Amino acid sequence: MDFIMRALVSGDWRLVAAAVLALGFTSEVTAEFKVTDVQPKFVEKSLILAGNLDLGLSPKVEEALGKGIPLDVVIDIQLYRQRRFFWDKKITFWAVQRRIQYHALSGQYLVSSGTGDREIRESLLTLSEALKQLGALNDLKLELPELHAEDGYSVDIRVSLDIEALPTPLRPVAYTSFAWHLNSGWTSWKVVH
Amino acid sequence: MESSALSRYVSRHVTGLTPLVVLSLLLIAAFVMMNAAAQNSALFGRLYSVLLLVNILGVLLLLALILLNLLHFVEQYRARVMGTRLTLRLMLMFVVLAVLPVSVVFFFSIQTLNRGIDNWFDVRIERALDDALLLGRTALDALKLDLVKNTQEMAAELEMLPVREKLVPGRSELSLLSLLREQYNITELTLFSQDGRIIASVSEANFETGSLVPSRPSDTVLTQARQGQTYANIDAIGKSGLRMRVVIPVRTRDVSAPLRVLQVLQALPPRYTKLGESVQTAFAEYEKLVYLRGPLKFGFTLTLSLIALLTLLIAVWAAIFSARHLTTPIRELAEGTRAVARGDYQMQIPVTSTDEIGILVGSFNEMTHRIHRAQTQTKRSQQEAEIQRAYLETVLGHLSSGVLTFNQRLLLRTHNAAAGQILGADLKSAERKSLAWLSETYPALRPLTEIVQRAAAAGENEWQTQIQLSVNNQRRTLMLHGTSLPSWRGKRGGYVVVFDDITMLIQAQRDAAWGEVARRMAHEIRNPLTPIQLSAERIRHKYLGAVSEDERNALDRATRTIIEQVEALKSMVKDFSEYARSAQMQSQPVDLNGLIRDVVELYRNEHGQAIEGVVPLRRAAEKNDLVRLLRPMTTKLHLDADLPRISADPGRLRQVLHNLLINAHDALASTANPQIRINTRLVAKNVHRFVELKVQDNGPGFPEALLSRLYEPYVTTKEKGTGLGLAIVKRIVEEHGGTIHVENLAERGASVIIRLPVGESTLAGNASDDLSPARAEKDVRHGRHAYGPKDGKA
Repeated sequence: MDFIMRALVSGDWRLVAAAVLALGFTSEVTAEFKVTDVQPKFVEKSLILAGNLDLGLSPKVEEALGKGIPLDVVIDIQLYRQRRFFWDKKITFWAVQRRIQYHALSGQYLVSSGTGDREIRESLLTLSEALKQLGALNDLKLELPELHAEDGYSVDIRVSLDIEALPTPLRPVAYTSFAWHLNSGWTSWKVVH
Repeated sequence: MESSALSRYVSRHVTGLTPLVVLSLLLIAAFVMMNAAAQNSALFGRLYSVLLLVNILGVLLLLALILLNLLHFVEQYRARVMGTRLTLRLMLMFVVLAVLPVSVVFFFSIQTLNRGIDNWFDVRIERALDDALLLGRTALDALKLDLVKNTQEMAAELEMLPVREKLVPGRSELSLLSLLREQYNITELTLFSQDGRIIASVSEANFETGSLVPSRPSDTVLTQARQGQTYANIDAIGKSGLRMRVVIPVRTRDVSAPLRVLQVLQALPPRYTKLGESVQTAFAEYEKLVYLRGPLKFGFTLTLSLIALLTLLIAVWAAIFSARHLTTPIRELAEGTRAVARGDYQMQIPVTSTDEIGILVGSFNEMTHRIHRAQTQTKRSQQEAEIQRAYLETVLGHLSSGVLTFNQRLLLRTHNAAAGQILGADLKSAERKSLAWLSETYPALRPLTEIVQRAAAAGENEWQTQIQLSVNNQRRTLMLHGTSLPSWRGKRGGYVVVFDDITMLIQAQRDAAWGEVARRMAHEIRNPLTPIQLSAERIRHKYLGAVSEDERNALDRATRTIIEQVEALKSMVKDFSEYARSAQMQSQPVDLNGLIRDVVELYRNEHGQAIEGVVPLRRAAEKNDLVRLLRPMTTKLHLDADLPRISADPGRLRQVLHNLLINAHDALASTANPQIRINTRLVAKNVHRFVELKVQDNGPGFPEALLSRLYEPYVTTKEKGTGLGLAIVKRIVEEHGGTIHVENLAERGASVIIRLPVGESTLAGNASDDLSPARAEKDVRHGRHAYGPKDGKA
């Protein structure tokens, strides 16, 4: 419920909608995306996220991937300053996009992150390897604004499949099918200084 | 109130043209965009989902609006609002017209679309692509095998190199690697220690510029190599294309020495890279398309269904809208006709169009306008007729003549009040009745009905006749005037009969004639009477003593008889002259009660007791010698103490009382318990006030035969008497402007009722002159009517 509260406070209707959707679907859909282990910490002027996201694909999505449909995964990260008598204040947020794609000629899975010149592509032999690579945070470094060092901070993380990034004809199917609803829901992690 | 406001709101905002047009345009625009998006247009691709959502919401909104409309319509239909049946028919027609073609188009579109999409995918193309991929892989595999072989050779060379403990990249490894690279024309050569650290690496100068760190194999690959297996595969590395990676273990002669791993990266020749990428891309795209076939069909079907639904809904909406638009004037017309049927002719319907319906509405308005005008005119003429009728009725009602009208079948149509009074019949009940009915119900009217019947049968247009009727035992003489009414449409128009009661007129004429006779007779007879008497007295005086005893007696008798008879004649002549005497009244205020008491005092019977209000009476001596032995009889006085004084001649009134009392006395001659009652009271009739004097006896009453001629002279039942008593009484009463009425009492006896007007002070003296004969007649008639016609006697 905390994330709904935060979404409400943030005033971002998409977040509210997402939060409500997440609440509605988490109970029914076997969430195959999970945020199991994240260690956020401040290092100098950046936020370093270590840990892994547990990403499992439903058979339908896996089939689509095998047929060459690229899948986009969005990692939403929100940074909150904890307050004692008030709800936590949202400082900033990031959305990290990663993509997994099957390369038929080489029979490998390509995992790419970042955009433009900073795009990193890796080819992996197996799907599980590729998914592991996709979910590996690998000390993800995020630039931070000015922060009060003494305050407590927390990070909310969610990972979901970006349906809007799918090919157009697939979108109505994805929107209307539970198999395509891959969403971890929000999880909160305390930031270590 | 609330529901009507709601329905007004609904009709204005929900079913109006504007929301329909706006929503339709919006939806069409959205569908155009969605169509573009489905064709992978870059601009709309991102908006696809939003557009889809907007369209679905739009369709839902439209659906809701139409449902609201339909609910509203159903409500109206149930309430049997005019025009809803037509609306329903139009709506059904529209919907059918829209559904059929849309369904056909929809069905064939779906079929064509599915078949078209399926046609994109050809088995041969699929096979070709598979084969191409396989060919590519085979080609690459050959290259890979070459590379593996080369790598194994290189590894063999490297085995010769001693393993040093220090991991400082030595010149020997580097120079050897460099040598080997050049020898085998390898893009990058890297030697890893057992724990994965780089021992030495050489690469082509132009390979992966900017990347100082050599590419590492993944941990899996390294593990594989450490286990002595060879890894060889093609890496897809983004922009730089494809390269081959071969990782193999490098063994040493020294068993205890650690294992080393050699990685060879060989960029594919550009031609291979290009062709390989092409095959990969084409294959991937085709695979994607094959996979997306289902979703694509779904998407297109969805779009098509939405468009079909939208078309249907817009058709339904248009049906509702246009049906309403069409039926509104028709409904108004229907309401207008209903209003006209109810009698409201002021209904005007607004003309909203110039088409045939507009013309119809205009004609309707013109029609109601004309009807309204005609109706107003009719009403006015009706009113005029009503006024005319009321006027005629008033005139007829106040006419002293009786008026009867009969229709062409001689049924009684109209009558006035005077007719009923004169005929003594309830003509109200005789309305619409025939003459025969009239004569049966009122036998007294037979002469009248016979005359009318005869005149009608003879077809006389104008006739006049005089008839005698015996109405309620009173003879009446009527003067009849008959006129046939104007005919209409060839039918005979019926009759109007006007009649006057001329009984009084005839009576007056007779009275006048008798007065003249009496005056002449008195004059002619009185003159010789005195000489006859004187002569008889002289004969008696002169010859009574001279004749013999026998003759004396005879003479005495003869002369006495002469003298007595002359005296009687004189008395008679006096009466006549009294009767004939012209009116010379000495009017003065008279207390009638006092007068009555005075006169009754004269008849006081000494033997009777004088009780209060009861005067025992004895006939006082007459002035003439004829002294009658009178029996004692009771006279009862009931005198109204509040009787006003009347303007009258007391001497004459005294004579009236005198005559009445004598008559009563005479009538009571053979009655066992003779009694006379004298009443006075004040009577108010209309605006006139009368003093009423009633003298009643309990004698035998007047004989029926005499009733109509009671007041004529010489009409008498007495053996003696001139029969002038009542005649004189009537004359005096009429001179005073009063009325006299005689009737027989129901039980026994007769009653004489006299009414004298209580004149206003100014009327004193000439009151009688003010009463015109007609008026007097009318009063008489009223009096008669009021007391009920009864027989009387003189």
